[in-house]
Amino acid sequence: MTQIVSPENESDLDKGMVIFQDVRKVYDDSIVAVENLNLIINKGELVSLIGPSGCGKTTTLKIVNRLEECTSGKILIGGMDIMSLDPVRLRRGIGYVVQEIALMPHMSVAENIGIVPRLHNWPRKKIMKRVDELLEMSGLEPAKYRYRLPDQLSGGQKQRIGVLRALAAEPEVILMDEPFGALDPISREVLQNELLSIQQKLHKTIIFVTHDMDEALKISDRVVIMRSGKIEQMGSPAEIQENPATEFVRNFIGEDRLSQISPEDSVSVLVEDPWGKAYPDQSASDVLSMMEDEDMESIQVVEKRANRWAGMAYLRDVKRISRTGGSVRDAARRDRKLYLEEATMRDAAEMLADKAYPIPVIDEQGEFLGVITEAGIARLTIGRLKRRVTGGASQ
Amino acid sequence: MIQQSSLLVLFIKYVARYYPRILRLTFQHLTISAIALALTLVVCVPLGIYITRKEKLAPYVIGLANVFQTIPSLALLGFLILIFGIGNDNAICALFMYAMLPVLQNTYTGIRSVPSHLVQAAKGMGMTDFQILLKVQLPIARPVLLAGVRVATVWIIGTATLASAIGGGGLGKLIFSGLASIRYEIILAGAIPATIIALLADQCLKFLQDYYSPRNRAKRMAKKAEKLGVDLSE
Repeated sequence: MTQIVSPENESDLDKGMVIFQDVRKVYDDSIVAVENLNLIINKGELVSLIGPSGCGKTTTLKIVNRLEECTSGKILIGGMDIMSLDPVRLRRGIGYVVQEIALMPHMSVAENIGIVPRLHNWPRKKIMKRVDELLEMSGLEPAKYRYRLPDQLSGGQKQRIGVLRALAAEPEVILMDEPFGALDPISREVLQNELLSIQQKLHKTIIFVTHDMDEALKISDRVVIMRSGKIEQMGSPAEIQENPATEFVRNFIGEDRLSQISPEDSVSVLVEDPWGKAYPDQSASDVLSMMEDEDMESIQVVEKRANRWAGMAYLRDVKRISRTGGSVRDAARRDRKLYLEEATMRDAAEMLADKAYPIPVIDEQGEFLGVITEAGIARLTIGRLKRRVTGGASQ
Repeated sequence: MIQQSSLLVLFIKYVARYYPRILRLTFQHLTISAIALALTLVVCVPLGIYITRKEKLAPYVIGLANVFQTIPSLALLGFLILIFGIGNDNAICALFMYAMLPVLQNTYTGIRSVPSHLVQAAKGMGMTDFQILLKVQLPIARPVLLAGVRVATVWIIGTATLASAIGGGGLGKLIFSGLASIRYEIILAGAIPATIIALLADQCLKFLQDYYSPRNRAKRMAKKAEKLGVDLSE
């Protein structure tokens, strides 16, 4: 796998090729996020990075556009070492889609799509033309949508604009950080299909981070399964499914594929990263404004150190505490939680049926592992139904 | 009733006779306020932005502005005589110290309230720090920032009446001389223009705030595009 690129064949490289050479990322608190990663992504390839939360997939992605700097190793894009480039210019040349969508709320749809072209100083006419072209491509009537504001769009439309924004300046490489993670299962599926059809036309090099195995298997040319900063296995979706290399991969696919899931199974498959987290010492009013911005009903309070779970704060409590100027610690309640070691799917489903708020999952040491949401269960169910149907048809 | 109508008559007579003086003082009042406001904006907006990047300094800087805020205005003016002597400089400096808090605080809060994922996304798209500030943070913080400026403006214009207590000019002169001679019509001749200026300034800022709100801006752009579209088809 460790194919070293020598300077002689640099010119043969297509512009969109991304090469990771012994990339290692250690955070200040000596947590190793990525360990000796070697990976070659060909031009026009859509590669998914997938793994449990904390496996280093998002860090790997952020190293590519230097939102994180790697501790050692090299990344080459089109044969150029990214560390030799100005980070700002590097980023302008790479498309970037994030889970939070992050459309600028004060800019119209057209302005949002035109952000990167404007940074490149394209002439106004050219930007306008490009925006209309992109809107048309994804079936949004330009005249109708051009001057809408992001909050006048549905969730699916917003992320569609998020993807168009990444395409606008015609980058060869696009990074997508769980782009459809926050969408409802139906929009998610629609957008996956759109991405596939866009990819068929444009052949971009796409690095796609996800925690949803179904998504990865559906859209990728190649799936890279990561675990604690290392590549556990990579291969085409078919290869991965047919020959899982290790027990971990087997579990990861198996659990997620869940053909034999039962209500008594562990909830570990369902655990996902929460939308947002708060630290206990953050003032309640800061957290309140964040929650209101993100339209969150509740938030997980997690200590920065050791990732210890400090409780879960509901919007109404945060509101109340913020009036007295307290910290979010005072708003945190600890009565709603599941222990990873003992909780079953049935427990999770019953709790969610009772109250729709996300359920925090912790281990016996009190470390925060993630949340279980209604959307997660819905996705799982839909995935299962789909497989039943396709499985039945192929037999 | 009689007294009221006579006050009104007295007031009208006074204004009719001394309107050049009232206008001159109003102008002076405006000038003092404008300078103080400009000074506040020039110092506090950048300072507010600066402390969002040096979080450790923030409580001290805002605390200091808070202290200025709580000193009784007359005492502060009197105290500043020691430094600036008598006159408008002194008044402008005091007004500036007063107006610091709302501008500083709202700049700071406004910029801090910009969701961090937007800043991260802007960075990821290749904006420089300065572009992020100019194109993302400030526009999103603008409503909060402008609210602070509005508070500061009204305070400055109101408090500027005290300037004449320490030898400065402005409408305060009329108020103080009215108080000294117990002639209510003179007090009114000073107080009414000051109130009007404050209200007008506030409304102007409010209008600006609405005019540049994203929604109205988007509407204007859509209209303009429509017009252009019609023009093109002709």
